Amino acid sequence: MIDPTVVPVAVAFNPFDVLDVPAREWITLLVDWIVAVFRDFFRAYISPPVRAVMEAVHWAFSSIPPLLFLALVFALAWWAASWRVALFSVIALAVVGFMDVWSPFITTLSLVTTAVVFSMLIGLPIGILCSRSDTLYTLIRPVLDIMQTTPPFVYLVPAVMLFGIGNVPGLIATIIFAMPPVIRLTNLGIRQVSEDLVEAGIAFGSTPRQMLWKIQVPLALPTIMAGINQTIMLSLSMVVIAAIIGAGGLGLEVYAGLERLNIGQAFVGGIGIVLLAMVLDRITQGLGEHAPGRRKSK
Amino acid sequence: MIRVENVTKVFGANPQSVLPLLEQGKTKTEIQSETGHVVGVKDASFKVEAGQVFAIMGLSGSGKSTLIRCLNRLVEPTSGKIFFEDPEKGELDVTAMNVEDLRMLRRHQMSMVFQHFALFPHRTVLSNTVYGLEIQGRDKQEREEIGLKMLGMVGLGEWAEAYPSELSGGMQQRVGLARGLATEAKLLLMDEPFSALDPLIRVQMQDELKKIQAELERTILFITHDLDEAMFIGNKIAIMEAGEIIQIGTPEEILVNPRTEYVARFVEQADPTGVITAGTIAIPFRGTAFEQVREAGELKYLARQAYPEIEYGLDRDGRLREVVSAERSLTVEPLESVLEGRSHTSHERRRDDTLLTCTNRTVLRKLLQGRTYSTLPIVVTDEDGCAEGIVDEMELIGAILEKRGVSEEEAEAGIEAPRGRSSTA
Ligand SMILES: Nc1ncnc2c1ncn2[C@@H]1O[C@H](COP(=O)(O)OP(=O)(O)OP(=O)(O)O)[C@@H](O)[C@H]1O
Ligand SMILES: [Mg+2]
Repeated sequence: MIDPTVVPVAVAFNPFDVLDVPAREWITLLVDWIVAVFRDFFRAYISPPVRAVMEAVHWAFSSIPPLLFLALVFALAWWAASWRVALFSVIALAVVGFMDVWSPFITTLSLVTTAVVFSMLIGLPIGILCSRSDTLYTLIRPVLDIMQTTPPFVYLVPAVMLFGIGNVPGLIATIIFAMPPVIRLTNLGIRQVSEDLVEAGIAFGSTPRQMLWKIQVPLALPTIMAGINQTIMLSLSMVVIAAIIGAGGLGLEVYAGLERLNIGQAFVGGIGIVLLAMVLDRITQGLGEHAPGRRKSK
Repeated sequence: MIRVENVTKVFGANPQSVLPLLEQGKTKTEIQSETGHVVGVKDASFKVEAGQVFAIMGLSGSGKSTLIRCLNRLVEPTSGKIFFEDPEKGELDVTAMNVEDLRMLRRHQMSMVFQHFALFPHRTVLSNTVYGLEIQGRDKQEREEIGLKMLGMVGLGEWAEAYPSELSGGMQQRVGLARGLATEAKLLLMDEPFSALDPLIRVQMQDELKKIQAELERTILFITHDLDEAMFIGNKIAIMEAGEIIQIGTPEEILVNPRTEYVARFVEQADPTGVITAGTIAIPFRGTAFEQVREAGELKYLARQAYPEIEYGLDRDGRLREVVSAERSLTVEPLESVLEGRSHTSHERRRDDTLLTCTNRTVLRKLLQGRTYSTLPIVVTDEDGCAEGIVDEMELIGAILEKRGVSEEEAEAGIEAPRGRSSTA
């Protein structure tokens, strides 16, 4: 008979007791170290340009009278996509205005625009470099995976520690979170350009630079635009979350509404975000299909 | 202009390892099943003189595209050498060039027309056409002028602003052609440039290409599946089989003397009337088919044993001075002059008192036309006007049916009746 009180050693043994990895402590140490070493550097060299661009964009957007703003959106949407999208965009933005969240909407749009500008500024060159070097891409891929799968909240902590609170740390977190699609799809788009066409470019004596700008990038444009579209969507979602660390705009409406249990305020902010997302999505998708040389099917 | 020496291209993980096997004489199929490497081109050597058109033919997969791509190193040869005769710099070793020299060579000296067009879908027809010029750094106005001229030449002047996707396959191919011609490169590499064209436009493009080639002194390497096209355009033809060039020669040489069964099968369907020349099929006066029947003053009279009634009087230089038939002296006229303005379906009785002469470069078609005028044999002369031999009905029929002329041995032996092609050739 087996005595149930005597548990065999093998079962009683818990391997996790042997080693206790102090991961929390290590990471805290690492972050502390990074903060201690880089904080001043980051605040001196990274914050100012981000802030400057953001403020310029915000100033530009908010100085356009709402009626003119709607007219411009209408024209842009029509040019980029179709009159349907144009009409939809104007109605959606009008709803935002009538719900009295025009000013937070402008703030969010400025934040998204700034984040996307920086994501592209950094992401496009990296994407292009990746498309030319398999080694570089193998190195960068895991980094992109980490950037994309890390829950958005996790970015906020180091952002606050390095940059304090407010719009700028929110933007920095957003830029990092939203950049991967631009890199991935720029790389993919360029690699997808048909071998035949690259050969034709070579046969006529193109330099690598001519090849890039005259053949590869134009042909990769629809794919790159799809990446930018994804980046815009990711920025938007992150900019909203960044309200937690003090970023303004529609996200702040939601956050404040929730905090005060003002469901109406939170929902109005939420609807504004959804409408903005839809407008941005339709317009940038339209841009992607705008590439020359495609059979026009309208 | 271009000289290719023992170029071999092997596709696969370790091409160099396959070279010894090739030297041992293993075939493409053996190497493929043993090592998994594909032999694209095997030991190809040839030379193309400036201003010549060199046609490359062969079945699908025989390595034509691979060979032509080795010349501008779109495909890197595994072994062998390629030399390009630059008009200014002399002979250059293409296989040893660095990236920059190679780029300059491709930009200014060699241009290419692709089998699958490879047009840039994001550029208009005109901007596709001028791509090479753009890369050369020509200014916009100049390159558009040239581009429009080239498009006009291929009959697409109206389509300059269209995008390739709006064009049919044949039209796209012509854009590719215009793009290849626009760079003003001296050497054109053309990979089946006319394959997608309908027959009418095709003939028009062939004429156009010949004209360009003659006017602008381009040297052309030309891949085609169409033998008549190869014979019409090519000064020389190379036939490829399983990566190897198995015969190089003028269209006539290949037609008349196919080296292997494969080549013979290739040329079987060809139309010989524009290719075979009088010199090839003529029965030579100096051969044993003729004998001297008499001598009168300066002139020696020759006649054929089988047809002794016609006597050809040649002077000491070998020029034809008189032709006598049934004791009558016949009129002798150049073929060219009687053909002018003549309909070949006339119901007039053919002449039996006029004998025609032609040069040895005259093609079969002309000779046949001549036979609609006169029933007598045609005398063939060389460039200096010395009589070489005669072409009679049998030779014309033989040339059409068997695509061959009198071989040396037959001429020596004076045999002319049996004309079965020996299958051991
Ligand atoms: N990039 C490549 N990698 C591996 N094998 C190749 C490659 N390119 C060509 N080959 C092989 O080389 C051989 C010759 O191909 P090539 O394209 O030169 O034929 P081709 O004569 O041009 O045929 P077609 O008339 O169909 O165009 C074929 O067996 C092909 O499979
Ligand atoms: Mg081919």
